Amino acid sequence: MANIIRIGACLPRLRLERRAMAQAMGWLVPGAGAGRGTRTLAFWDEDSVTLAVAAARGALGRDRAESLTFATTTPPFAEPQNAALIRAALRLPALCLTQDATGTPRATLLALQAALEGTAPALIAAADRPVAPAGSTAESRMGDGGAAVLTGPGAGLFTYLGGASLSAPFLHRTRASGAETALDWEERWQREAGYQAQVPPAIAAALTRAGVEAGAVDHLILPCPIPGTAATVARLSGLTRAALAEDLADRTGDTGAAHPLLMLAAHLPRIAPGQIVVLAQFGQGATALVLRAGEGVADHPGLPALDQGIPESNYLKLLAFQERLDWDRGLRGRFIVQEAQSTAYRNAEALLGFVARREAETGLIRFPPRNDVPGEDWPLADRGGIVATATADRLAYSRHPPNCYGLLDLQGGGRLMMDFTDPEAADLAPGDPVRFVFRVKDIDEHSGYRRYFWKAVRDTGRGL
Amino acid sequence: MASGIKDKVAILSMGCSRFGERWDIGQEELMREAYAEALTRAGIDPAAIGAAWYSSHYDDIGAGKSGVPMAMALSLPDIGVTRVENFCAGGTEAFRGAVFAVASGSVDIALAMGVEKLKDTGFAGLPTASRGTLAPMYLPTHTNPGNFAQLARAYEAVHGIARQDLKRAMAHTSMKSHANAVANDKAHLRKPITIEQAVQAPLVADPLGLFDCCPVSDGAACALVTTPEIARALGQAEPVLVKAVQIVASNGWEAQQQGWNGAYVHTTRQAAKAAYAEAGIADPRQISLTELHDCFSITELVTLEDLGLAEPGTAWRAMLDGRFDAGGAQPCQIDGGLKCFGHPVGASGLRMLYEGWLQLTGQAGARQLGAPHSALTHNLGGAPAQNVCSVTILGL
Repeated sequence: MANIIRIGACLPRLRLERRAMAQAMGWLVPGAGAGRGTRTLAFWDEDSVTLAVAAARGALGRDRAESLTFATTTPPFAEPQNAALIRAALRLPALCLTQDATGTPRATLLALQAALEGTAPALIAAADRPVAPAGSTAESRMGDGGAAVLTGPGAGLFTYLGGASLSAPFLHRTRASGAETALDWEERWQREAGYQAQVPPAIAAALTRAGVEAGAVDHLILPCPIPGTAATVARLSGLTRAALAEDLADRTGDTGAAHPLLMLAAHLPRIAPGQIVVLAQFGQGATALVLRAGEGVADHPGLPALDQGIPESNYLKLLAFQERLDWDRGLRGRFIVQEAQSTAYRNAEALLGFVARREAETGLIRFPPRNDVPGEDWPLADRGGIVATATADRLAYSRHPPNCYGLLDLQGGGRLMMDFTDPEAADLAPGDPVRFVFRVKDIDEHSGYRRYFWKAVRDTGRGL
Repeated sequence: MASGIKDKVAILSMGCSRFGERWDIGQEELMREAYAEALTRAGIDPAAIGAAWYSSHYDDIGAGKSGVPMAMALSLPDIGVTRVENFCAGGTEAFRGAVFAVASGSVDIALAMGVEKLKDTGFAGLPTASRGTLAPMYLPTHTNPGNFAQLARAYEAVHGIARQDLKRAMAHTSMKSHANAVANDKAHLRKPITIEQAVQAPLVADPLGLFDCCPVSDGAACALVTTPEIARALGQAEPVLVKAVQIVASNGWEAQQQGWNGAYVHTTRQAAKAAYAEAGIADPRQISLTELHDCFSITELVTLEDLGLAEPGTAWRAMLDGRFDAGGAQPCQIDGGLKCFGHPVGASGLRMLYEGWLQLTGQAGARQLGAPHSALTHNLGGAPAQNVCSVTILGL
């Protein structure tokens, strides 16, 4: 049995206001913009892989893992394995069991259960950037986000006491391979025959295995986009004193595979060492994990990113970022992304891991690295830099003009011309500190093929 | 010890097509237009040409790869034709090839042609040049205005220049070139503009506005070069001689290390230094006229400093004072420059040499300067951080 060592999270900066969604689509679809507050909106260059990488960097710290599971219902690639890209971006050792876990958002807790019931250090990186029909209730309830957890021996946030998973051919949401959006069955049926019928037995079995009484549970973490359902599940499960974790519906929306871990992270400041937590998730059955909080939860900051968003009132950005708007890209926007896979592979350590080289004879740091020159690998991802020159280019094709880029002086030496990203990229000026994030570099409009590289964002010192 | 190119090669003749949006003709016709002028001015049989160099930057538009398109377009006499490509320095690169061929004694007369047919892309501005397979995997999707806007921002930051002062100096730069081009019937843009128009133009890449950017033009220019002896034998009493040709390519220092402050162009300084040494010039301010690579107004300001024509951080003020106007102490871009003559990439280096040759031989018509004795041309291809720079000096 292993423990939960650390949790990492990544929320996109943009928070789309639901009233803007209602205003844009409500004339056509009465349920548009359902709910209150905001939902997270991934920037054009954020997808489930990049959100997973960002979250996993936080979960890993300086530790290493022997396996990596990427849990998502929205993998960018049907083939190849997405986890292979994530491992390379995280620079985990090549001797690593990588796998994608998909089909249900519950893939996250299924992977987590397997990891906790093993002993080796394991990383589960969960993220979703879901797509739903324009104006639908689902679109409003959804959000984009990533969360990750590192498990292994040793003290950390939680000790694993036991868990159970239950499987059911309950098809409340279906989406054929290749289809973009899902079909959701009636909500009351989901609630009553789904959540309320399937989650309590999983919780009961998990508590039995953990040797914990239902009445001893202090906290229940159960993502459910249907209001009030988690409370009913708690009552049906006999969790008489359990506090319910906030579902974050008004702030992030339901982030799918990432959501149980995001809710857990946000709830951490309310959990005291020694308390019992049930972490549960639904989807073609249910999984429940029973955890006992360790000393690591004390003084945990929770999920500060919740309060560090940028309000967005333009619904069309969602459609544009999700590539669902046939906008006028101009002739400059018509280009083919050359896959050049053999080039990409022989430079994978540099491009995905963001590794330069320190040349032995001169001490120079160089990117791209000259790997035929004696020297040592010089990882850049955690170094950050200072803007040397910058531009906001209105002529270059961009999915969020102006296209912002410039020369960066890398901490420790070396210099590189890089893309700046995120909504405030145009504000970056010479002298500003930046840190690096793993993002989509470009997307081929026709094949859908995408490439990844690192970009610069302002370093606020908050570790966002 | 190399002795340099000084006085070993003469310009026998030059030609230049009309620049602009030449919707009616293609790359072949542009070359023939320039070539016909050069042949007529030289009065030679094309059979006397021993070798040719051909500069064209883009090959997905225009006429394609290799020397064959030029050999066919000009019906050259079964000679070697070498296509060169070196960003915006390509025209000068072709010239250098022809000059070296003559200087080596390999041929008596060589042809250098530069051409670009840019207005077959369907959009304004330059198309994105191919960068191989690796670079697009990490470098930003950039444009030239974006690249040179960084030069402007660094220039104002390093020298502490107020944005409004820089904008006015850049506007004056463009206003001056527009005024110069009015008298040039081969120029692309021949309408004068005001400083206010330029200052208030829409931004392309902050702080560069529309009038800070040169146009994208169709055009061709060429040179026939030979030995000074042959030039004299063909009737040129005082032929224009090549005093220096230098080309420097960035080796990664500016873009990969931290020594460069972004407010000047390293290769220009290096190429200028080498060219002045080759030509034996102690003070570049004694050069009669300059045609420099004003792809953007900021490039002209920075290049004036890099060439030693103004002290670092002062060109903007000197520009506002009129020192580089047609009637100023150091006329610059007397033909309108890239800004108004136009910028067909592969041809621009040879277009500048064309103006230098016209001025030195007294054939510049309405824009003829008094009695020039020397001319400097400068090309900058690529971005300030990573580029190819050429400096050529002609003299009598």
